[in-house]
Formats: sequence, C-alpha cells, structure tokens
Amino acid sequence: MSAASADVRSATDQAIIRLDHVSRVYQVGESEVRALDDVSLAIPPGEFAAIMGPSGSGKSTMLNVLGCLDTPTSGRYILDGESVENLSEDQLADVRQRKIGFIFQSYHLVGRMTAARNVELPLIFAGVEPRERRDRVRAAIESVGLAKRITHRPDQLSGGERQRVAIARALVMEPRILLADEPTGNLDTRSGEEIVALLERVNAQGLTLVLVTHDPRVAQHARRVLRMRDGQIVPE
Amino acid sequence: MRRGDVIELAGETLRIHRLRTGLTLSAIAIGVTAVLLLTALGDAAKGYVVQEFAGVGTNLVIVLPGKVETSGGMPAFGGTTRDLTLEDCDAVKRQSPSVRDVAPFSLGSGPIEYGERSRDTRVIGTTAPFLGIRKLTIASGQFLPPGDPRQGDPVVVLGQKVAHELFQDENPLGKLVRVAQWRFRVIGVLGSKGTSVGIDYDDLIIVPVSVGMRMFNQTGLFRIMVEATSPQAVPVALEQVRSVLIIRHDDDEDFTLITQDAMLKTFSSVFDALTAGLAGIAAISLAVAGIGIMNVMLVSVSERTGEVGLLKALGAKRKQILDVFLVEAMMLSTAGAVVGVIAGVVIILIAAAIWPFIPLHPSIAWIALVITLAIVAGVSFGLMPARRAARLDAAEALRGRH
Repeated sequence: MSAASADVRSATDQAIIRLDHVSRVYQVGESEVRALDDVSLAIPPGEFAAIMGPSGSGKSTMLNVLGCLDTPTSGRYILDGESVENLSEDQLADVRQRKIGFIFQSYHLVGRMTAARNVELPLIFAGVEPRERRDRVRAAIESVGLAKRITHRPDQLSGGERQRVAIARALVMEPRILLADEPTGNLDTRSGEEIVALLERVNAQGLTLVLVTHDPRVAQHARRVLRMRDGQIVPE
Repeated sequence: MRRGDVIELAGETLRIHRLRTGLTLSAIAIGVTAVLLLTALGDAAKGYVVQEFAGVGTNLVIVLPGKVETSGGMPAFGGTTRDLTLEDCDAVKRQSPSVRDVAPFSLGSGPIEYGERSRDTRVIGTTAPFLGIRKLTIASGQFLPPGDPRQGDPVVVLGQKVAHELFQDENPLGKLVRVAQWRFRVIGVLGSKGTSVGIDYDDLIIVPVSVGMRMFNQTGLFRIMVEATSPQAVPVALEQVRSVLIIRHDDDEDFTLITQDAMLKTFSSVFDALTAGLAGIAAISLAVAGIGIMNVMLVSVSERTGEVGLLKALGAKRKQILDVFLVEAMMLSTAGAVVGVIAGVVIILIAAAIWPFIPLHPSIAWIALVITLAIVAGVSFGLMPARRAARLDAAEALRGRH
C-alpha cells in the first residue's frame, strides 16, 4: 500500500460528505434515466464547493441526494459519519433537521408569516421551547443583518432581503452543511453579490457549503468546482 | 412538536383565508343549527303531549271494572265481574299507605233544565277529593262538600259551558235546576279546563256520587280514581290497590288498573322515534358540511404543496404535517359547531318567548351530541386531505409538483 493511497483514505474518512458509487435511476415510461451514474465524491468539513453543469446533467438530483430529500438507487452515502442510504422517510427528516440547512432559488418563505416566524419554523417542528426559540430567531436574523426587518412579511421585503431571511432560517438549527440551489438565480447582480458574500462569511466560520449555480461569477468564489454532465462528475 | 404550536400553525391558515373559512364554517353551523332546531321541535312535541297528560295528574291510577285480558279455554271459575263500590273506594283509601286520595266516579247523562232552557249533558257523580285529583278549579261558589259519600245533598257543580248556556249572565249560585227529573241546588261553577283526555270539563255537571248512582240506577262505579303520594310511588300504590281489591273481590282480579305512566310511555316512545327521525334528516346537512370541509382541506393542501415540501425539508415528520392539517379541519368544524349551537339556542329561546305554550328549550344532551358529531366529522373528513399532505414527496413538492 503506497503512502499516496493511505493519504486519500484518511482524507475520505474525515469527509463530512462521502458518496461511494452512488447511482440514482428514474424509471420514465419504458426507459431508465440515470440521473446520477456511479458518482463517488468526498467533501471535507468547511469546504465551499460549487456544482455546475447544463440542465439535465444531474445537479438537482445530486443536491436532493446530498440533502437527504432523495435516496440513492445504489451506492453508499455517508453524511457526517452516518450512513443514510437506507433510512426511512422520517429518519431522513430527522437527519435534515439536525444537519442540513437549505437555501432555494425562490426562497420558499411562507407568505403569510413574518420574517421572524419563517425563521422560527424549523425550531417549531424540532419542538424547541418558545423562549429559546425567540432568542435563537433573533440571533439568526441579526447574523444576516436584518434586525430591522424582523416583523416584516416577505411581500414587504426585497429579493435580497428575502434570501437573507431564508439563510437565517437555514442557519437557525445550526446545521453541519448548507445546501444552496441557485441562491442568486432570482436576484440582481448587486444583491447576488451580497448574498454570495454572506454565504462566504458563513462558510468562513466553518460551515460546509455546497451550492448549485449556473453563474461562473458565483462559482469562482468556491474553493472547488464540480462540473457535472450526464449524471457524472467530469474530471478536472 | 408542542401542541400549542400545532394549534397556532393551523389557526394561522384559517385566519388568512377568512372568506373560505367563513363559508365552510357557516355550512357546518347551519347543519348544527338544523339538528338542534329539529330535535328541539321533536322534544317540544313530546313535552306538549306529556304536559297534556300531566294535567290529568301523573300520580294517577285508574281502576276499571272487569278484566281486560286474552285467555284460552274455559275459565276455571265463573267469569262474573263484581261491581266497584264505594266500599272498595273506602278500603283502598284506608289500607293503601302510598295512596293519598281516592275519588269514586260514576257517569250518566241526561237533560238539565233551568226555567225554559234545557240542555243534554253528562252527569259525573263523585266526591270532594275529585277536584284535587283531576286538577280542576272552581270559578265561583264551592265544590262538593266533604263527608260520607253514601250520604249527599242534592247539590250540583256546573261546568263553564253548561252554566253559561243555562244562566247566560245570571248568577247560577243558589238557583234550583232539574236534572233528569231530580231537583238540585247549584253550589258552584268549575273554572274552564277545556277537553282533557277526551272529556270536555266545560260541558258537564258534577253531583255527589251517591245521588248520581241513584239517579241512573247504578250499582257499580264507572271508575275509581286513585292518587298516589308521588309519581315515584305510583308502582307501589298500584300493587297496594291491586291487593286490597283482590281480597275484597274474593281473590279474583276482576278489575283493570291503568296508570298514567303506561300511557305516557307509549306516547314518549312514539315521539322519541319522531325526534330521532328529525335528527337523522338534520344530520344529512351535517354530512354535507363535512364534505365541504374535505373540499376546503383538499384545496388548502394543493395550494400549500410547496409549503409542505419546505416543512419536510426543514425536518418536519409525516405525523407532524398530518397533525397540522387535521387540527386545521378540527378547528374549522369545532368553530362551526360552536357558532351553530349559539345560533340554535338563540333561535330556540326566541321561539319559546314568542310561543310560550310550546315547551321549546335547548337540550344539553343534543348540544353535546352535535358538537361531538361535528368534531368527528371534521376529523374524518379532514383525514384524507391531511394524509395526502403528509405523504407528499418533499423534493417534488418543493419544485411545486404533486
């Protein structure tokens, strides 16, 4: 066994995200679609990785699998030392609750609720006491610089502000990784840059960040860029 | 997840969709009100009849001569029926501790004449206790005086109508009238009672029982009216009367006992069936309202597909999603039930104030039942939509597909 391969093993052992020969196959009518085709991947803690690729390349499936919203058809997925490929739906929900923060292109804020209430949602479903919730919501909203907008509803906020609320919501459960799906896709250039800067700051504090983007200017902030095509990661 | 949070989340949605919530809520409220009104009406009809009978006296046991029964073959001993006599009356009164009072009752009919005027009427022969037992009133003068039933002066108490027809505006008290060729002095006039269980108490006259029996050449009484000490004592009184009379009639039960209770029970069961029927009809509107809940919840679920996807991504379990939607349906139906109960009670109270002779009143039992029913409807009709929400695939729901 060479020194080099031992090195690789210790790197993958430490990985917070590790995919081993993961495939995700959809049945569409008669034919099979291999959205993920034998992908292996290791992402160490604190990494900032961008996933790029044309539509239909498997980016979304990749993000769903990484986010435990979908399970691989075959292969292994070890998230933060926990094997998750065989978990039940509710067990996966539990993993998401404890370890994963989601950020979406369209924010997915609940329109009838204030910013504070939106950020509070994950805490409510985790059964956190109201008093503790209030403090954590306030801290999360302050950390994204929206203290003054705490009682505003989404329709009273700009796009950039909405995405900040969404980021506060993703951070409030103190997850291990942050998954962002085109977080700047609906924003103008300046707001987009502010959001990327905010995500970089969060990443700098040690949170693993994986984002899917079409935008090369966003991707260039990432330490590592994974290019996908036909369900596979293209070697650099 | 805390229970208070589930209720708060469910309530938020209902508050936002005011119009939709309001309409569904009214549908349930109308169903609930319908159940309450119709059952109150059924109960009122029953109450009205019971009231009518209570006018006769619910403590009443009536003794008829002769045994009403069906039997096969030849009776072992002669089928002679002994008369009910004034002595039977006395014995019942003296020997039955649960009997408060006894009145003999003879019945005949004949013309009553005063001056030029004459009128055919019923003649009841009885004694002083009859007034209390039949709950009659005296408009003027007095009722038959107490005393030995075998004695009796030729005095008469007139029913309202008889008094009016014969005397017009003249004061009948102290006047002499002729009944079937017997001369009587008028000592009183009955208060108006109207018809009670087939007898028009306004169109009759009352004479002492001994006189009445002599007038019509009767050896036995038509009835003996027995009043028990209380409605609860009726069954005991009934047995006491039976054993006293059997001994007096040489161990032969050649008489029939009727209680108010037996008659009331028959009527009650008829009216209970009527009320249940009405409740059934009203329950249909409640079922329709339940389908309304299901419809609204299905719309709510499909509108909030993205939201459900989000909640799942944030870590919400199936059960939690199910609870939120189920509680929403339950709150809707419960609120509807409460509004419906309030509306129903108000309408019943108003109707009772307008028509005081109908015994209309809201029934706690029906209110409890209908609220339970509404909540059960909310849960059962909300279950399917809530399940649908809970089973949504998180990834697809987030993309807005379902």
